[in-house]
Amino acid sequence: MVKPILLSLVINLLYCFSFGQTPIRFDGSVVDNKNKPVIGARVLLKSLNKADVSNAQGDFSIDDLTQNTFVIEISCVGYETLIQRIELTENKKYIFQLEAALVKLDGVVVEGNYVELKKEKTSLNIEIVNDDYLRQNLGGSLMKSLERLPGLSTIDIGSGQSKPVIRGLGFNRVVVVENSIKHEAQQWGADHGLEIDQYAIDRIEIIKGPASLMYGSDAIGGIIDLKNKTVPKENTFGGSVDLSGKTNNDFIGSSVSFFARKKDFFATVRATILDYGDYRVPTDRVAIYSYYVPLHNNQLRNTAGNEQNLHTSFGLIKDRFKSTFYISNVHTKYGFFANAHGLEPRNVDRSVHDQSNRDILYPYQEVNHFKVINKSMYNSKNWKFESDLGYQRNYREEWSQYAPHGYMPAVFPKSLDFNPELERQFEKDIYSVNAKLFYNASDKTQVSTGINAEYKENNIGGRGFIIPAFQHLNLGSFLVAKYNYSKKSLFQAGIRYDHGNVNVSSYNDWFVSPNYENGDTTQVYLKRADDISRNFSNLSWSIGYNFNPDNWTYKFNLGKSFRMPIAKELAASGVNYHRFSYEVGNAGLSPEVSYQLDAGVEYHAMKFAVGVSPFLNYFSNYIYLNPTSRYDRLYGFGNQVFEYTESEILRYGGELHAHYEASKQLRFGFIGEYVYTEQLSGPKKGYTLPFAPPASAILNVKYQKPYFKFVTNAYLSLDYKFTADQNNIVPPEVTTDGYQVFNFSLGGDLVMHNQKISIAMQVQNLLNSKYFNHTSYYRLINVPEAGRNFIINISIPFMGNLKHN
Amino acid sequence: MNTFKTLILMTAFSFFLNGCQDDEKPTIDDEKPTIDLTIANAFPTSCDTLYFNEPFSVKALLIDNVELGSFNIDIHNNFDHHTHSTEIKQCTLDADKTAVNPYTFIQDYTIPDASSTYLTDVSMTISSSDGTDLYDEGDYHFQIRLTDKEGWSTLKGINVKLLIR
Repeated sequence: MVKPILLSLVINLLYCFSFGQTPIRFDGSVVDNKNKPVIGARVLLKSLNKADVSNAQGDFSIDDLTQNTFVIEISCVGYETLIQRIELTENKKYIFQLEAALVKLDGVVVEGNYVELKKEKTSLNIEIVNDDYLRQNLGGSLMKSLERLPGLSTIDIGSGQSKPVIRGLGFNRVVVVENSIKHEAQQWGADHGLEIDQYAIDRIEIIKGPASLMYGSDAIGGIIDLKNKTVPKENTFGGSVDLSGKTNNDFIGSSVSFFARKKDFFATVRATILDYGDYRVPTDRVAIYSYYVPLHNNQLRNTAGNEQNLHTSFGLIKDRFKSTFYISNVHTKYGFFANAHGLEPRNVDRSVHDQSNRDILYPYQEVNHFKVINKSMYNSKNWKFESDLGYQRNYREEWSQYAPHGYMPAVFPKSLDFNPELERQFEKDIYSVNAKLFYNASDKTQVSTGINAEYKENNIGGRGFIIPAFQHLNLGSFLVAKYNYSKKSLFQAGIRYDHGNVNVSSYNDWFVSPNYENGDTTQVYLKRADDISRNFSNLSWSIGYNFNPDNWTYKFNLGKSFRMPIAKELAASGVNYHRFSYEVGNAGLSPEVSYQLDAGVEYHAMKFAVGVSPFLNYFSNYIYLNPTSRYDRLYGFGNQVFEYTESEILRYGGELHAHYEASKQLRFGFIGEYVYTEQLSGPKKGYTLPFAPPASAILNVKYQKPYFKFVTNAYLSLDYKFTADQNNIVPPEVTTDGYQVFNFSLGGDLVMHNQKISIAMQVQNLLNSKYFNHTSYYRLINVPEAGRNFIINISIPFMGNLKHN
Repeated sequence: MNTFKTLILMTAFSFFLNGCQDDEKPTIDDEKPTIDLTIANAFPTSCDTLYFNEPFSVKALLIDNVELGSFNIDIHNNFDHHTHSTEIKQCTLDADKTAVNPYTFIQDYTIPDASSTYLTDVSMTISSSDGTDLYDEGDYHFQIRLTDKEGWSTLKGINVKLLIR
């Protein structure tokens, strides 16, 4: 993974309008963004059916042209296809610059020729998508948009928030990296979404399986590596306007961006505004346990939300040096289903709640995530140095009506310095530093080494306690070496050492509870957390092998990774207002250790490809929240005790993907995924883990035409998703029936007065089926998934050249 | 013909996926316990009235397919009508009011080991005051929660009135 070079093959075809002319000749050359020749690029004048391939110097030549105005298309594996309208001037040599491309997973189906250099250059299982994919599959949140990728699922909270899950592992086991800095928030909460603006993301790499070495410990389940827009071309400016709408929750959204670059300096800005109402489900009532809640207009009461995001980046590019600052602020506010928050199912004043589907009443959460990142690199002939510096501030407030429960006073005392309606508040500051050195020891050997440091400080507020205030320092260093035996095979190995310290601050209740001891009753301010200081250290390692003969790719990777217990696992002691449970930490937990074997085999021919990526995973001590048979009066207000426990876990499963290109226009695809999990020890021996995704598969048919009337790159696609029953459950879950759902999409580009307009439309849940998603946060209270949803995204890019001074 | 074969293959794989899900291990208990308030002398049941200073017994039949865990009784005010009964029966509630000194009761109870059925016999007398002030009369929510040994849980919440007589 020295340099992420991403390859793809995109097949686009072009029109041109012809005018009679005397024969002329078209000479040119194709270069990359470093002005190096691109060899083997296909230069096509489609309507004339004339083409040439660039030679070793990147040059091409097409004779006998009878017209001087046409559109050319230049395509080459690894580069974005360039489509340009040309007016030929005789005796002029044209130079075309291609941009390095990203792999397109158009729809489910991985593109025709499944040769992906990145995939061949790593022994890890990796998926890569770009912004086109996101536009075409726009979901309620970034993770929802990615959900159809093999091995990826989500834990959803309403219509606008989702958490990533890779092969059944989520929460703190999946690391989300944005611009090389680990995204840090309150990841432990099932009801906490990911504070990322999906419009700002340009490229996503997903690594399935342990990838702790380069990214820091914790990435025991995998990595989601997000990258913002790459550097614009010299002396250009441009931007885009995106408009999105969804019918299910009356969503409207817009994101506007602008970029410009002089020779060495560049800057980008982006603003995103989203606003949505309560989402609709195909039912008029929901049974929260056995308590029936009628829904107004099929709307899930108080699940409206909004989001306002601002981003800017600017930087300097020299021949050998590049430095970029990324500054962003993501602000979200969204409501919780009002009947299912608190210590029991709640009756709410429906006349107030059902007045408007757009208002956000109690209970709701409001989160602000501020981020500053500097990413710099210095290149030399044989080595490259990279540094990433990051500061993040995550500020989260959860609001709800003051509903005294347990021993909280019926009337909130005025003497306290916080708002009684503030249920919880978290303030987290995160400082991160990465320094990496890449060295080409020889043609065949690359070595990279580096250090990561991260300091997190968390403060808490509000009336309800769940996690303590804490400070967490983590230091790590790694060494990874890659050796290319031959052009077709490589060997990769690495080690990493981590040391961490977690300091938890003690906490006492602000109200008194009656403690019965020896027949006496005393009123005490309960101590919910002690001062705890724990040190953790661990050595992780990984070895991998990759072999790519002709039409085949074989991958193999074995690794050990680890994750330190988080403050919540060590010191939680509070009521979960959604689960109606009392959650208790365990200060004696050891770091989680996982061993995983990953493999991948893929066959790819011109029209057909099939691949399978199985894995086998063993945890010597997986940390999880175990529901016990006890109740707790004093600390848990009589709720059932859920305590953090360690157990041995065995997991296995994999993904299968295939596609077949019946013709240039018609393609069939398939993606299947399956994960099995079993606890081998502990109080839940024989059970699975919570939120286990059921087996699922997607069959896709896609029809695309380079031209359809006045539309270019037109496509039409149908997904048929079928999901198996999930009968492997663990308390307090319920089994979930399998379901089938159809999603339909179509779109293309319109060109009007030289202005391209990309339109992507979708109909999700075409048949308005009522089904339950096992990994939805609202599954337990029997809320079905969203009903039929029409989605439209219109993207208008613009671009121009800056004048040379 | 290739397409056809591919599709067959895919479908076969999907059946295989479905098949995997059916391999359930019989040793695992995935049934929740139940609280039976339909037995002859069950108390309290929906819309019953409890009286301050008058002893009563909580009678409910607890059942599990394997082994019961523990249970909990919780009484709290429902003056704001924040909650409904989990029973079908609708009770007539008093008008909304603000709590002044509401009565709160939370207690956990153990069940003898290895029991798969258990008839509760909790004797209670609710004192009419906390020593200085009288507790509020009115609508209360009486909640019984039950677990089994594996951690499955269930709850019954019923509307009762708590009055002085």
